[in-house]
Amino acid sequence: MENNKQHCGLCKPEGLFEGKGKITLKDGIWENNPISIQILGVCSALAVTNRLENSLVMGAALIFVCIGTNLFVSLLRNVTPRRIRMIAEVAIIATFVILFDQFLKAFYWDMSKRLGPYVGLIITNCIVMGRAEAFALQNRPMVSILDGAANGIGYAIVLAIIGFSRELLGTGNIMGFTILSDTWYTPNQLMVLAPGAFIALGFLIAVFNAIKGPEEESAS
Amino acid sequence: MKDSLYTVFYAAALGIVCSLLLTAVAVFTKPYRLNNAKAEKTLNILEVLAVPFGENATPQELEKAFDENVKHQKDGTLEMYGYLQPGTTNVFKTLAFPFAGPGLWGPVKGFLSMKNDLKTIQSISFYEHEETPGLGGEITADWFRNQFKGKSIIGPDGKPGIKIVQNGASKSNEVDAISGATLTSQKVERMLNSVIKQINKNGK
Repeated sequence: MENNKQHCGLCKPEGLFEGKGKITLKDGIWENNPISIQILGVCSALAVTNRLENSLVMGAALIFVCIGTNLFVSLLRNVTPRRIRMIAEVAIIATFVILFDQFLKAFYWDMSKRLGPYVGLIITNCIVMGRAEAFALQNRPMVSILDGAANGIGYAIVLAIIGFSRELLGTGNIMGFTILSDTWYTPNQLMVLAPGAFIALGFLIAVFNAIKGPEEESAS
Repeated sequence: MKDSLYTVFYAAALGIVCSLLLTAVAVFTKPYRLNNAKAEKTLNILEVLAVPFGENATPQELEKAFDENVKHQKDGTLEMYGYLQPGTTNVFKTLAFPFAGPGLWGPVKGFLSMKNDLKTIQSISFYEHEETPGLGGEITADWFRNQFKGKSIIGPDGKPGIKIVQNGASKSNEVDAISGATLTSQKVERMLNSVIKQINKNGK
């Protein structure tokens, strides 16, 4: 071990995407995916996923908010008084969410109307605060950004898959292009409505878990 | 003591930084947001009056359709947007009246349009509201708004007013209320009837 360290002048220093960074990235997107494994942020995942476009914008919003929040919570982690750290976290989260909401309202009005209150509700999304509390408070800014991005991407991927399947089965279209022609496919209205979201999410979690294999029971 | 002071100072500083940032963004996006809100209102007027306009029309195209077809006038306290019969300046196909009032969570604003007999409802729309999605928010849903089409603003008993009822609409001036949104339904009924009263007075 000691020997290794001495040689380190010759070998490359550990990059952001190796070692801890790599684990962080893999954890957020796959091993510990916020929706399919932790079942967090389900409300928005069900509410806005009737169209792929909505899902993508919502995913982008969460990636943006998670990265921003994790960065600032991490930067301030040594100066934030412990007693008010949660209030400080919520203030930071709310700032980023309102920022995103305002930009949607200004430059992407139709989408803002379609997403309705769900952009603002990201403030209460457990994923964002969960990552700030569980990760950014204990880690350096760069790796915290990575963690925020990974969890945001994990959320966005799940939303995109649900949005894709619901729009395809529910309307036969994807982003306005007809994929399943109505000459032989009758759009299943159920998929556009709320119950369709539950069904799609249920199948998705089942598939994710089947690929991942059985979870190891933690010894209690 | 020193700790508490630091905590208060920290909270104040964070609050000030966040609010300054948000104020800056709000000021920067304000002209765009106002434009969007205006386009939304124009779109609502055109829709409720059944003025034809292209699908995916830009705000400029909407404005053009509005200027060419719609006349805005005020008759006392009653504001009105009329869809002009082509080639005329004061014969209207349909007429839209703005209404507004308190909803459950915030102001509700919309338009009620009438056929030119001023007795039959052409259409209804809401362009601003903060009602609960899925409950009161259903006022913007097609099933709720479509109920109003062709309804009379005069009841069988001769009294003006539309009724939003819970036990199944049966009369010519009744529509079904929204389940789970009794208060929103009542408030919408109240704001509609206040404008209907004025329309009825002017229509005579």
